[in-house]
Amino acid sequence: MKRFAVAAALSLLVLPTLRAQALSVDEIVQKANLASYYAGDDGMARAEMVIYDKQGRTREREFTILRKDKEDGGEQFYYVYFHRPGDVRKTVFLVHKYLDRDDDRWLYLPALDLVKRIAASDKRTSFVGSHFFYEDVSGRSPADDTHTLKEETDRYYVLDNVPKDPSTVEFTHYLVWIDKTTFLPMKAEYYDGQGKVYRRMEVLEVKEIQGIPTVTKAKMSDLNTGGYTEMTFKKIEYNKGIPDRIFTERYLRKPPRKYIRRR
Amino acid sequence: MGRKITQFAVNHPKWVVFLAVLATAISLVRVHTIRVDTDPENMLSEQESVRVFHNQTKREFALSDMIVLGVVNEKDPDGVFNPETLGKIYRITDGIKKIDGVVTADLMAPSTVDDILQAGLGSVRFQYLMERPPKDRDEALHIRDRAMANPLLKGTLVSEDGKALAIYVPIEKKSIAHRVSQQIRELIAAEPPGPEQYHITGLPVAEDTFGVEMFKQMAISAPLAGLIIFLLMLFFFRKLTLVISPMVVAMLTVIFTMGALISTGHTVHIMSSMIPIFLMPISVVDSVHILSVFFDRYQQYKDRKKTLHVVMRELFMPMLYTSLTTAAGFASLALTPIPPVQVFGLFVALGVGIAWIFTVTVVPAYILLFIPERKLENFGATAHGEEDEGHSPLARILVWGGRITREHAKLWLGLTGVVLAISAYGITRIQINDNPVKWFTKNHPIRVADRVLNAHFGGTYEAYLVLQPPASPETLRAALEPVRTFLSEETATAVDPEVRQVVGELQAKLAELEAKEAQADEPNPVRVVEALANELNRLYDTVPEDRTAVLDTLDILADGLEDQRTALHTFKSPEVLRWVEGLQKYLSSHQIVGKTNALTDVVKKVYMELLGGKPEALRIPDTPQAVAQTILSFQGSHDPEDVWHLVTPDFRKLNIWFQLKSGDNKDMEAVVREVERYFQENPPPVELSHAWAGLTYLNVVWQDKMVKGMLSSLLGSFAIVFVMMVFLFRSVLWGLLSMIPLSVTIALIYGLIGLVGKDYDMPVAVLSSLTLGMSVDFAIHYIERARELFRETGSWAKTAALMSMAPARAITRNAIVIAVGFLPLLLAPLVPYKTVGFFLATIMGVSGVATLVIMPAMIQVLRGPLFRKERRELEEKAAA
Repeated sequence: MKRFAVAAALSLLVLPTLRAQALSVDEIVQKANLASYYAGDDGMARAEMVIYDKQGRTREREFTILRKDKEDGGEQFYYVYFHRPGDVRKTVFLVHKYLDRDDDRWLYLPALDLVKRIAASDKRTSFVGSHFFYEDVSGRSPADDTHTLKEETDRYYVLDNVPKDPSTVEFTHYLVWIDKTTFLPMKAEYYDGQGKVYRRMEVLEVKEIQGIPTVTKAKMSDLNTGGYTEMTFKKIEYNKGIPDRIFTERYLRKPPRKYIRRR
Repeated sequence: MGRKITQFAVNHPKWVVFLAVLATAISLVRVHTIRVDTDPENMLSEQESVRVFHNQTKREFALSDMIVLGVVNEKDPDGVFNPETLGKIYRITDGIKKIDGVVTADLMAPSTVDDILQAGLGSVRFQYLMERPPKDRDEALHIRDRAMANPLLKGTLVSEDGKALAIYVPIEKKSIAHRVSQQIRELIAAEPPGPEQYHITGLPVAEDTFGVEMFKQMAISAPLAGLIIFLLMLFFFRKLTLVISPMVVAMLTVIFTMGALISTGHTVHIMSSMIPIFLMPISVVDSVHILSVFFDRYQQYKDRKKTLHVVMRELFMPMLYTSLTTAAGFASLALTPIPPVQVFGLFVALGVGIAWIFTVTVVPAYILLFIPERKLENFGATAHGEEDEGHSPLARILVWGGRITREHAKLWLGLTGVVLAISAYGITRIQINDNPVKWFTKNHPIRVADRVLNAHFGGTYEAYLVLQPPASPETLRAALEPVRTFLSEETATAVDPEVRQVVGELQAKLAELEAKEAQADEPNPVRVVEALANELNRLYDTVPEDRTAVLDTLDILADGLEDQRTALHTFKSPEVLRWVEGLQKYLSSHQIVGKTNALTDVVKKVYMELLGGKPEALRIPDTPQAVAQTILSFQGSHDPEDVWHLVTPDFRKLNIWFQLKSGDNKDMEAVVREVERYFQENPPPVELSHAWAGLTYLNVVWQDKMVKGMLSSLLGSFAIVFVMMVFLFRSVLWGLLSMIPLSVTIALIYGLIGLVGKDYDMPVAVLSSLTLGMSVDFAIHYIERARELFRETGSWAKTAALMSMAPARAITRNAIVIAVGFLPLLLAPLVPYKTVGFFLATIMGVSGVATLVIMPAMIQVLRGPLFRKERRELEEKAAA
């Protein structure tokens, strides 16, 4: 359930604190999906991404991310506006996420004065050069995997997830540790063909924002290359009432001042 | 001294043998610590600047050494682009991913490289070139068309004719190249047979495989040479028990030297693995002289001890000196700047010394211990009668030869002059060149792969050209000047004291960061600006929300600093990138450069696809921001890190990956010259330094050092040997004379190399020192005997006649034994072994002939001054 990964940060947990007993695997998966990707009706945050390579060299990305849900567990919009580095300032990513078909993705490149659609048949490509994939940011559909409860500890449900179509992904399966109280996936480990963990997501910090447990810092490591990315979320706000029209091509060239502040 | 040693050996033969075996055993104490090193990179010292730079480049750009697997399908009209072949390639690639030591992330294969393509409706798509094996012909051809349309892949991953496809397998270290290539072969063997041909090549495979085969060869060649030498000696001396002794000496010498080498913690390198091959002939030579003279004299005395004393008295000094000169020749290799060559030279020199000690002690001891007097009844020259010996075809030729060289001395010297002149011409035509792949014979799979793949692709030899702006405290200061100006303008206009304070803090921080960065090895202004931007970020958090004036200033400063940073990203500048493009275009016309791959190619391709795929958009965009955003788009692919093989994340260093069709050093040198020329004729828009890395280039550097080092060591040992000769003969004239045959030999050998167009490569270079050490030997023996005979006969004519008998036979036997002994090396599948075999044989032959022809002719001409001392001695004796 890699879908539970980082953008989780933006999510608002609407769930009541359930006694986590006798939950079926499907229920756990559903709750985790909602907890990590559908917090609140909408949300915004300032994200700072530091990309480390094996030699310890770093690159930074700083962007504002806006999200709006059409319905919980259903279609979503994402709007990502770049502040840093300076030479990609004003670059915008817009994503319309669907459950039953490929997402729509747009890219606005100000220096080329160009809006480009990016065909998104493969969501397991890098998100802006980081170690996070698109799918980590917008969520992998629970329907893409077969889930089994591998283990239940005091704190976690450990789920094993096997892809239904192995040819579309680079892993053979992955384990997810889901917090029993918040239902936030706290760790995920991806296995390659040789049964070796080669990719790992870890949540480093969770804070309660407007009463919603929210991931504020997460790390994605590529154990093959030795590189990793840390993503920190600041200024998180939920339920801002962001209008739908913001998430249209029109606003790519003209970022909404109200939501995209300078810092 | 010689007398005492002989006496000891003759009186205590058992002790001698015991001590020799003991010493050899002791040398082997730590032989289990053997470390093998087959990496030619180690021809350069670890601290060698080009090697340091090579390793730094590999680290900074995360480059791995690569094995190239080529798949060729000449039968199918669609080449490799048919469902069966691509299916095999897909499965093999999957298998390669699982091989231990393969850098999976950088594996370049159709199923692992990203392609950017138009996806209709103004969209682009990043997609693996071959996500899954194609189901039918259309899908297969679609893959071909996409690969051909991608300048990053065409010529690198797929051949332009569509017949071949290459998989680039990066490995963690070169020393596993052979093992990995074997595992790849297993994967290939598991596929159903078909029309596909598979080829594996690349310098790492060549180098590592050479190491593996080299050791196999050592186990075959050295013993085989020993066997042939043994058989030849048996033929000449006809006494099995007797000819065993030189073999014992050779064996003890080789074992002792290699044992000492390993036990002193030296690695067995390509060079040092050749030590046995060199020591074998050297250690046999002196024993052959002893046996030769023993053979000639035994019947005179019919007593082993007496004969040995006579033999040793006659040979002790010449043997000592021949050993010293040979040792000096090899020890001079310590003057070369190449560590493995130094080790090689010193240990061969040690071996020569050991061989001498064993020869003067073990051979006499052996004769006394194992050959009873009665067995020698039918042994030796006089037993068969001098007439008998003298009527063997060899003996007759030598006598006849001795006569005509004297009678037509000037003619022969004239001929020698002609030979020298031709040799001199040959030497001027020598081509200095080497290529580890060519260390294999023409039909070796690696050579075949090399030929086939370089015909299909841009090239399997890689070199890296790294460009960067100069990095010094001064250039750092200059580069940061605009940042300073920017900050002071902000203070100048600020009214709010808090704003002034914030800017002041940044100014102070800038000064501090700059001072610190100036200490770095490569001061980098981007690092300073980035650290300053982080400082600015930190300041944001200290300013309360309501201080809008300060926050506004911080915003301006943040944007300003970002712009400053972009400006410092040298390789985002369209101007600079277009210049690089020009360099690439210029080099693409060079026939050795199959292809160059650089950041420019990525930017152009992605930019074109973003603009809808129109061919005219295949160009560098117009602003640094556009370049940056193009690269950002590219990074939405499967392997965003790919770009960091081509540029460092601070965009201050650019790597141009050269694919060369040839790994010949002379070709690499030509490419280097072309780059120099481009820099001179087209100076870059900003100052850029350039430097080379990559295995192909490293080979050029060590070859260059090797050639120069060998030349200086050859000249050095020539001088030392000359001084030793003058000292030995107590005469400058005789000293000069003794140098002539070897000079002619060396000139002829190298003239020959030039004339037949054989490259002057590593083994040829090393052989020069052997030539010198070995060919002076014959001259020493000849002159020593000649002067002694003159003292006995008082006449050059008589002396010369005698010289053409026993002494000439000894020299000839020696030359033939060793020359023929090394001919089996010609059968080796490794070219350096063939070279060594051929040249050892030639050196022995030429220096034998040169000695027997030039010596008598020269002495004939110069006999007056040469024998002045001997004549005076004879006169004094007569007067007394």
